[in-house]
Amino acid sequence: AIMQGEEVSKPVLQVINTRAIATGNGPPRYRVLMSDGVNTLSSFMLATQLNSLVEEERLSAQCICQVNRFIVNSLKDGRRVVILMDLNVLKTADQVGGNIGNPVPYNEGQGQQRSSAPAANPPPSKPQQQNSNLSVAGPAAPKYHAPSNQFGKASAPSSVKTPGGSQTKVVPIASLNPYQSKWTICARVTQKGQIRTWSNSRGEGKLFSIELVDESGEIRATAFNDQADKFFPLIELNKVYYFTKGNLKTANKQYTAVKNDYEITFTNETSVVPCDDAQHLPSVQFEFVPISDLENTPKDAIVDVIGICKSYEDVTKITVKANNREVSKRNVHLMDTSGKLVTATLWGNEAEQFDGSRQPVIAIKGARVSDFGGRSLSVMSTSTVVINPDSPEAFKLRGWYEFDSEGQLLEGTSISDARGGSASGANTNWKTLFEAKSENLGQGDKADYFSCVGTVVHLRKENCMYQACPSQDCNKKVIDQQNGLYRCEKCDREFPNFKYRMMLLVTIADCLEYQWVTCFQESAEFILGQKANFLGELKEKNEQAFEEVFQNANFNTYEFRIRVKLETYNDESRIKATALEVKPVNYREYSKRLIASIRRNAQLG
Amino acid sequence: MVDVHEVPRPRIATGHLAQHIGKPVCFVGRVEKIHPTGKLFVLSDGEGKHTTVELSEPLDEEISGVLEVVGRVTNQATIMCMSYVQFREDKSPFDLELYNEALKIIHEFPDYFPFG
Repeated sequence: AIMQGEEVSKPVLQVINTRAIATGNGPPRYRVLMSDGVNTLSSFMLATQLNSLVEEERLSAQCICQVNRFIVNSLKDGRRVVILMDLNVLKTADQVGGNIGNPVPYNEGQGQQRSSAPAANPPPSKPQQQNSNLSVAGPAAPKYHAPSNQFGKASAPSSVKTPGGSQTKVVPIASLNPYQSKWTICARVTQKGQIRTWSNSRGEGKLFSIELVDESGEIRATAFNDQADKFFPLIELNKVYYFTKGNLKTANKQYTAVKNDYEITFTNETSVVPCDDAQHLPSVQFEFVPISDLENTPKDAIVDVIGICKSYEDVTKITVKANNREVSKRNVHLMDTSGKLVTATLWGNEAEQFDGSRQPVIAIKGARVSDFGGRSLSVMSTSTVVINPDSPEAFKLRGWYEFDSEGQLLEGTSISDARGGSASGANTNWKTLFEAKSENLGQGDKADYFSCVGTVVHLRKENCMYQACPSQDCNKKVIDQQNGLYRCEKCDREFPNFKYRMMLLVTIADCLEYQWVTCFQESAEFILGQKANFLGELKEKNEQAFEEVFQNANFNTYEFRIRVKLETYNDESRIKATALEVKPVNYREYSKRLIASIRRNAQLG
Repeated sequence: MVDVHEVPRPRIATGHLAQHIGKPVCFVGRVEKIHPTGKLFVLSDGEGKHTTVELSEPLDEEISGVLEVVGRVTNQATIMCMSYVQFREDKSPFDLELYNEALKIIHEFPDYFPFG
């Protein structure tokens, strides 16, 4: 009745949803989807003096309000807008609980509008806050473009000029169904798959799939054979096009996570035309999980992440056993403000074309969490990877990484490196000995690994070597048979010789703590600066020189990579520490870490 | 004049010269220019700012790269050099910017880095 221009006094309506529209310079304007129990209509705008109602969440989805004063404006294209000047909230949203009745969209001849939330929000199946979706603040689903100013531009999206000059009406994706054959949608490509070929008993062919999104929803589209050839080079990820005339059929849910009952198949009548006026379309939507939270994410979950690509590995080719095909893969390491690093695996073309120079920000939508090495991510064919996305999160990350001293100097603790023995650049877990002890590292079921800078303060000369089996890979202690032969139980053989193997107990210390560490062959040889065999001989022939080696080794400072584990020996449990690797101190990196640590502690006050 | 080598001499950057006039200091910087007479040269610190160093006797060798100068700050905010050491950069380059960061911390937390 209102739309017909009649005088209605103080109608009582239910708010189905509210949406903020950015106006450039000025307060946001809120557009409201209202229902009277029978119909819904989204052509309601809130007068700016009522903005506080939305901001304080008194006016929110599902609340009931009585409109005291309103004006009806007619737009150039004949549509009517109701401006709400004054209203009372009769019942707040939580008192109401749900939509009253089953209102259907009021059809003004403009095309269908869904009665549920406007499509800029993720589809209803995702858990929604009951509060109004203030897209400006965007707590749950950050959006990259301001939601549409549908009233300002009356021409878009309701009509579009095709190159032929004729006007076609654009419909929302949500309204597509197999019973309508002539339709045009204006949508952004949020995911583009690779061309896949198949060959089976019925023949062979090729296809590629894309995912499209507009404000009303999302839908998957597939192009086969000729259409695949025609459109694959034309259609680009993240760009907006007008898609006209394709086949609609029921979606094959096992192939896709897209929330739509139908999917599109391109036919030879389908046309794809680039759309310039695309500001109102939501871009790829992400819900980022901080990398530190991934540790608690179950295996096989699908998540979105964003991080700085701190380092990346070269692309490698591996052969898939299942179909004997070679596929490229590449590991990249992402870090975010949580200070944690995660390894993400890229496959195929994405792996090959990846350029990680200048440490770009990478956003991944729909990566699968695996429990490889703790927690890692795998990019699937349905995932989307965006490099340096145009989004507030990306800018925030870049700002934190470049300018915040902590971001620059943070080495990052990798959650993908739980079994990592080697300390490789960005993946090391630096601790002081004090931290290692106070954090009770090694007391869990698994061994813990950390790196530290320490000074050798004592070395145990006695029993630092043992006689080991001379076989290549066997280090078992041999038994001296006293007849010139040595027996190895593991190899079940006797040898006329043995090799000296070191097992050196060293005390290392830093400014607060000390720790006994066992050093085997390589580490011990590094610390002592002599080979085990030479030392063995020296011990027998020249005691003094032997002692001197140990004297010289004392009070040197190195970087240690240490493994701590709880070990039980004859009913006694003790924490045992082993030095896996000993290296000279890289003073530059050490200084950087110290400076970062000082600055961090200074901020804590 | 007391030998500067027997008193504490704080490490400073060009920005700290003004606060240390008349005092013995230790300055680390990269050689930018050497005056033809050999009695003057210019060093740049980690922030790129220049400091002039004067000598009582002209240089008797070529200097280049990073230098550590011990001397006294003159009224004109130059350094009267008593002795210098050239840093060897054959094994690894000296990170002057990082040194500057460390200097900032030293001056920011004098409780923990007392001078003498």
